[in-house]
Amino acid sequence: MNKDREDVAVERRRFLKGVTLASAAAVGSAAAPALAQTAKPSSPAPAAKSSPAAAPPPNPIAETLPPASDPVTQTSSGGEFMVDVLKTIGFEYVAMNCASSFRGIHEALINYGKNTAPEILTCNHEEIAVAMAHGYAKIEGKPMCVLTHGTVGLQHASMALYNAFCDKVPVYLMIGNILAADKRGAPVEWAHSAQDPAAMARDFLKWDDQPQSLQHFAESAVRAYKLATTAPMAPVLLSLDGELQENPIKNRSELQIPKIPRQMPAQADQAALNEIARLLVEAQNPVIIADRMARTPACMGRFVELAELLQCAVIDKGGRTNFPSRHPLNQTARASVVVPQADVILGIELNDFWGSLNTFSDRIERASAPLAKESAKTISLGVHDMFVKANYQEFERYPNIDLDVAGDGESSLPGLIEAVKKYLDEGRRAALEARGKKLADAHDAAILTLKRRATIGWDSSPITMARLVAEIWDQIRTEDWALVGENIQSYWPRFLWDADRSYRFNGNSGGFGLGYSAPAALGAALANKKHGRLSIAIQGDGDLMYAPGTLWTAAHHNIPILYVMHNNRAYHQEYMYVQDMCCRLGRGIENAHIGTTMTSPNIDFAKVAQGFGVYAEGPISDPAAFVPALKRAIAVVKEGRPALLDTLVEPR
Amino acid sequence: MMTPNLFLPLRAALLLAAMTIAPAFADQPAPKGDAAHGKELFLKIGCFECHGRVGEGGGFLGPVPTLAHTSLPLDAFTMQLRQPANNMPAYVASVLPDTDVADLFAYVQSLPGPLAADALPEILKH
Repeated sequence: MNKDREDVAVERRRFLKGVTLASAAAVGSAAAPALAQTAKPSSPAPAAKSSPAAAPPPNPIAETLPPASDPVTQTSSGGEFMVDVLKTIGFEYVAMNCASSFRGIHEALINYGKNTAPEILTCNHEEIAVAMAHGYAKIEGKPMCVLTHGTVGLQHASMALYNAFCDKVPVYLMIGNILAADKRGAPVEWAHSAQDPAAMARDFLKWDDQPQSLQHFAESAVRAYKLATTAPMAPVLLSLDGELQENPIKNRSELQIPKIPRQMPAQADQAALNEIARLLVEAQNPVIIADRMARTPACMGRFVELAELLQCAVIDKGGRTNFPSRHPLNQTARASVVVPQADVILGIELNDFWGSLNTFSDRIERASAPLAKESAKTISLGVHDMFVKANYQEFERYPNIDLDVAGDGESSLPGLIEAVKKYLDEGRRAALEARGKKLADAHDAAILTLKRRATIGWDSSPITMARLVAEIWDQIRTEDWALVGENIQSYWPRFLWDADRSYRFNGNSGGFGLGYSAPAALGAALANKKHGRLSIAIQGDGDLMYAPGTLWTAAHHNIPILYVMHNNRAYHQEYMYVQDMCCRLGRGIENAHIGTTMTSPNIDFAKVAQGFGVYAEGPISDPAAFVPALKRAIAVVKEGRPALLDTLVEPR
Repeated sequence: MMTPNLFLPLRAALLLAAMTIAPAFADQPAPKGDAAHGKELFLKIGCFECHGRVGEGGGFLGPVPTLAHTSLPLDAFTMQLRQPANNMPAYVASVLPDTDVADLFAYVQSLPGPLAADALPEILKH
């Protein structure tokens, strides 16, 4: 926040208070007419009437009023029109960490806009605001608006923006800026202004603009929304000039808000879909691998229909919940078996195609080896090649693709399904049924093996990850649940829980930057709130320490969510990397904890959460004590409040 | 900025290997090492960081196999420590002498393995 501006404001209030007292003292005298006559102090009295002998008595009111050319009140602001535009677009929320560079639109949101649609979400850090928008968009299917400072705020927000960019998720970011140099107060507003504030984030933005007029704002605001929500989706940014936000609207009747179009995603060419269908139907062992495909609840049903028509293996990479976790054709747990057997592999919205078909060894030579047969036909269907930037390398290693089809994966499923139906005759269907039966049996066997594995250390302390996940599932399985955060990407929920809706699992951060999980889970929980869903997050301790203020926002806005800590008192992935390097050099691992663990003192997350106003219990390391605490915490969440259980869990 | 998991894509591909569960221990020769010392080592040299304190397995650059009640013979166990077949860190003899390896082996063999399918806890049946 701009403290200097606050200081100036305080001084000005004291000054005006003095004026008021002086004015009150003058009531009943000649003060009132004097006020009327001196309302335009910028017009100096004629020189002829100005003589020392005839000098008027001091008039503090007249001397302290601003000149008419520097008015102190106004009846409208550009921010109001901006709010009209945001309301027209249909934003439900605007997440923000308050900042003087957007005070104009901030005032308009709370007074003119009555803090309703969009409603302000108060965040303690810009990274929290953007990550909340990230998690919200994946559940709700539309972006949340975010407001930050232009320079310092955007720098705080940048990590979260990068995650959203990598995860192909729309975030609608607006930042404050002061364009005209002569309108900037020194020193802070100079430090908070930039020629091109979006420059530092442009590598991971889809589009940005800095409107020069209110009409320009309206058109760019709608354009930004359209671009952000057109697949491949990504964050957009509008830089809002302080003058444009704060000053009166001169021409409201002339301003127009463009129509918000219904957008139809780009479906793949039908001839190309026919070719994909032919290859899939003729294949002996086709495999479909999906990652960031499901955008709407309708996707899962279509994907199931396609897979069941083909009776083929499906691997869900988990960027979205594309396919039911317990469907017998779900072979995610058997990827290392079905991929080498495949003769046709279709990747849908699969960003890391190469990584799905190859193994990679993190050893000195960092060698790789193919997992798939060289003869396997590889097909890519998706939009990722329609928006690629050069600098950041999130586009992954270049894969060998035989048929590359551009088109939105979800939107292209109906055309693909119809094409498959045309190629399937009764004889082929019967053959495919037998294949499906084998896959189903293998699926069941794999899950049973995992369940048996889950029993190892069942009663041990700290709690095993499998036990933790199994106990949570036992409490939520009859609810309309959503796992909104799980930053270590454990496979246990994916194989022990029945994820039968697209909102059950909410994917990962995209850019693998920590500080995402806690606030993104909260944003997702906010989206789930109006649907009455029970939101759970398995929350890493390291991740929460990036943005612990998330818990205060949860309490302040009464967002129901249960954070179950996966507290291993370490940045454990990093610990394992350092351990690996120590072993490579044959030096023992006695020092691997240095810089990687969070002990001495141990963090008491229950107290941290309680300090933010969140119901919390812990630390809990005994599995027997976990279940009663879990029941109490879920009861709190069902009342509409956040809760946290600090559970000490095995490292992985 | 931390790197939560550099090789997430490998996880699914390697999961099956990690799902391997040791067969019955009856055919194994009696361990000669000191299981109590093996437990100390298991915690001290960081085996538990990836494999879990009770050998339940975990995750690092993909799923990490279980060690509880391992079916690996001592020679294979030693070889995996000295020249790992996958992304596991290598433990050279100067860091972990053969006697310590034998103790570790004794410890992981002493750990209870997975329950049989018909003995699963009730909550795992849902």
